[in-house]
Amino acid sequence: MVRIRPAWEGNPQPEEIGKRLRAWLENHPDKVSPPVRISFDERDIALVLLQLGLHGDMGIIVAGSERLDFPQQTERLVLHVAANQAAIGLQESRLLSEERRNSSDLKQRVAQRTMELATINDELNKAHAQIIQSEERWRSVFENSAIGVALTDLNGQFIAANPVYQKMLGYTEEELRQVRFLDITVEEDRNLNWVLIEELLEGKRPQFQIEKRYRRKNGSTVWVRNSVSVVPGTERVPRFLMALSEDVTERRLAEEALNETRSELAHMARVTTLNTLTASIAHEVNQPLSGIVTNASTCLRMLDANPPNLEGARETARRTIRDGTRASEVITRLRALFSKQNPSFEVFDLNDAVKEVAALSVSELQRNKVILRSDLAADLPCVSGDRIQIQQVIVNLLRNGSDAMSIVDDRPRELLIKTECDESGGVRLSVKDTGVGIAPQIEEKLFEAFHTTKGDGMGIGLSVSRSIMERHQGRLWAIRNEGPGATFIFAIPCSTNT
Amino acid sequence: MKSRDGRSTIQRPLVAVVDDDESVRESLPDLLGEFGFDARVFPSAEEFLVSDSFGQSKCLVLDIAMPGMTGFQLQQELKARGQNIPIIFITAQKEEAVRKRALERGAVGFLLKPFSDAALLRALNTALGLG
Repeated sequence: MVRIRPAWEGNPQPEEIGKRLRAWLENHPDKVSPPVRISFDERDIALVLLQLGLHGDMGIIVAGSERLDFPQQTERLVLHVAANQAAIGLQESRLLSEERRNSSDLKQRVAQRTMELATINDELNKAHAQIIQSEERWRSVFENSAIGVALTDLNGQFIAANPVYQKMLGYTEEELRQVRFLDITVEEDRNLNWVLIEELLEGKRPQFQIEKRYRRKNGSTVWVRNSVSVVPGTERVPRFLMALSEDVTERRLAEEALNETRSELAHMARVTTLNTLTASIAHEVNQPLSGIVTNASTCLRMLDANPPNLEGARETARRTIRDGTRASEVITRLRALFSKQNPSFEVFDLNDAVKEVAALSVSELQRNKVILRSDLAADLPCVSGDRIQIQQVIVNLLRNGSDAMSIVDDRPRELLIKTECDESGGVRLSVKDTGVGIAPQIEEKLFEAFHTTKGDGMGIGLSVSRSIMERHQGRLWAIRNEGPGATFIFAIPCSTNT
Repeated sequence: MKSRDGRSTIQRPLVAVVDDDESVRESLPDLLGEFGFDARVFPSAEEFLVSDSFGQSKCLVLDIAMPGMTGFQLQQELKARGQNIPIIFITAQKEEAVRKRALERGAVGFLLKPFSDAALLRALNTALGLG
């Protein structure tokens, strides 16, 4: 800080004065406090230097005068006071500016951090909102679904059940979590259900449908149609089972009533048909038989007469023979009548025919607790024949297999329907069951008409089936399985070979 | 009357046979002849009704199921005309209801085809009060 008396002539600029003083000071670093004299533009000037700050680290005040007695006592005092004030002022100003600098720095850092945090927070909020939205949406789907939805662990223990499901079974979700779904499944339906679950868990099927009965909390029974699938696990959620359930009780009851009526009707129709049939066969055959008996009786009487009426006896014997022939012709006519319908031949894919039959039979099979599997050969050549008749044979074989398992309770009731090419270039279809098998004593009679091991059967299914196969230049036969049950097989030529 | 030597009997009772089946019409008269009866055969109820043996027959051997008028209808027609000729039904229909119906309506015999000569003779003897 330099003050120049305005009266000074020659006007050296303050910069010039400062430069000179700095040069001087640099050469006399210790010349502090006691007054010194320097010559300045050939004038003698008394200088006094005063340190600012404790060690002069803040600067120096230089005061000078042309008076050589400078500084006098009062001037020295004033200068000290001024130096102190200046030092304090400088220090304060320095602190203040430092404070200002620090504060603005901090403010800036805080602002920046705040901004970063705000961005992160914003993103988090968005993600969270999305998760909540998604969760809410799915929860809402679950809660408001028109059909029952239940989730269970891989042992069948309930994890969650939606309101429709709870209502259907009469249990609250909390109560359901205490049990496995098999515990509330009607006992007869458990085996089949569990077999299907195991296949699901082993990956043998992606999902399955089952119609089964649950025992409600109040003890009543509800029929449900379940579509069951495995939901794959994630890092946080293990695999679980999901069932979509629909109450089909009304339909089942109606169906059962209908089936009962239908099977009664079918039985009546079969009995009636058979009665009519036997009556007309009896009538047709008994007419000539009546002639035979009468003629033969007459013949004997004529021979027994005294004398014997030989001419009459010959005549009645001839009539007897003629009536015998007539009776046999009646039989031949009847047989012709039964085998009259010639199959209408067409070329078709046996696998398609099997699929149709399977689709039609699945409900009845399931009612009988039978699991139907199919193993249909790809690239199976087409066959030629009466599609309906061949399908009738397949229906017969499936029904036969299913019936053979009706008393089986200690193992799964399984039917395997399989198509394949056979060694002779034909096509082969087999139906394998796990039923009672074939007893040696009935093996011979298996395909005879009216032979049956079933209480309510007519025993014509296999016989008719065999005759249908024969009409198709095919064969139908049966073998015993290595395990339980039997396999019925038919082979027919493929369409290019016929 | 003994049937053993029927051919020598002068007054042989007439038995009418109504059946649409030819083998019956052919074979029964000979057997009836062996029993000592005269026999006349008719292929239908209608033909029997218009024949001259209608009033002379001592017994009617009658099939049930025939085209046109059935055996039962003929039975009713005869009753309506005040003819109380004994009737032996012969049929291939093995139904208890048919048998019951026939006997309820006053048939003296009901034979299922094929029937034995002995059964027929027993029925004829009953019908003619010879038993």
